[in-house]
Amino acid sequence: METLTVLYDADCALCVRCREWMLGQPAYVMLEFLPAATAEARRRYGVLPRLGEELIVAADDGRVWRGGRAFIVCLWALVAWREWSATLADGPFAPLAERFFVALSSNRRFLARWFHHRDCPDGTCRRPAPEGPYR
Amino acid sequence: MGTRNLEYLIPVYVAYGALSVALTIWLARTLFKNGAVFLEEVFADTPKMADAVNHLLVVGFYLLNLGYAALLLKANGSGNAIEAIEVLAWKLGALLLSLGGMHFFNLYLFYRIRRRALLGRMPVPVAPQAQFSWPAR
Repeated sequence: METLTVLYDADCALCVRCREWMLGQPAYVMLEFLPAATAEARRRYGVLPRLGEELIVAADDGRVWRGGRAFIVCLWALVAWREWSATLADGPFAPLAERFFVALSSNRRFLARWFHHRDCPDGTCRRPAPEGPYR
Repeated sequence: MGTRNLEYLIPVYVAYGALSVALTIWLARTLFKNGAVFLEEVFADTPKMADAVNHLLVVGFYLLNLGYAALLLKANGSGNAIEAIEVLAWKLGALLLSLGGMHFFNLYLFYRIRRRALLGRMPVPVAPQAQFSWPAR
């Protein structure tokens, strides 16, 4: 596997902020960030249920992760966080981590309001993406 | 500095020199032999690289320890056998403690090298929920 495609919610300020955080981290694999609401995402991944509702990560070898597991795959891709991905996937706190990620995901609009950005006062916005989909 | 009583100093220096060199060599060889096991795993596909890294680590170990041992050599004097033993013991103790510190530092380096390599080839820790049979491009 060489590329991970992260299908995220580009209308959620928190998600955009997370994308920018990931873009600033050294990674083991190529990361492609694709807003789930775009025609490109629907063309390539439209068959996936709950596309756009939950975080979805697709590898270039065809594997797809959804929800809490997708968060763990994102951590796995980052050099500084790969060890944590193993801990959160298997350790004693794995069920808690799963619940945390699911809660984070389903309350993202609400949480985003706490992370004010001048372009998105109510946590819903579309900020300009950095140049190019690839890191 | 007053007059130094040098009567027993030469035997102390000789004993210290011989023991410090012997200890350093013994420890470096231990490190070399056992470190090779770690490095062989890390550089499984490039055994020459494992040898090179191991050798360079051991050279650094020799330089640091022999240099420190040489700096520790000077004593202010020892007038009788008891003082000579005390001076020698003090110096050897300091040397052994520093050797121990260096040794654990080296172990830590091996651990770091190995962990980095293992993380680099770690598979995704969670099973996928779906599998495309075609590459979705």
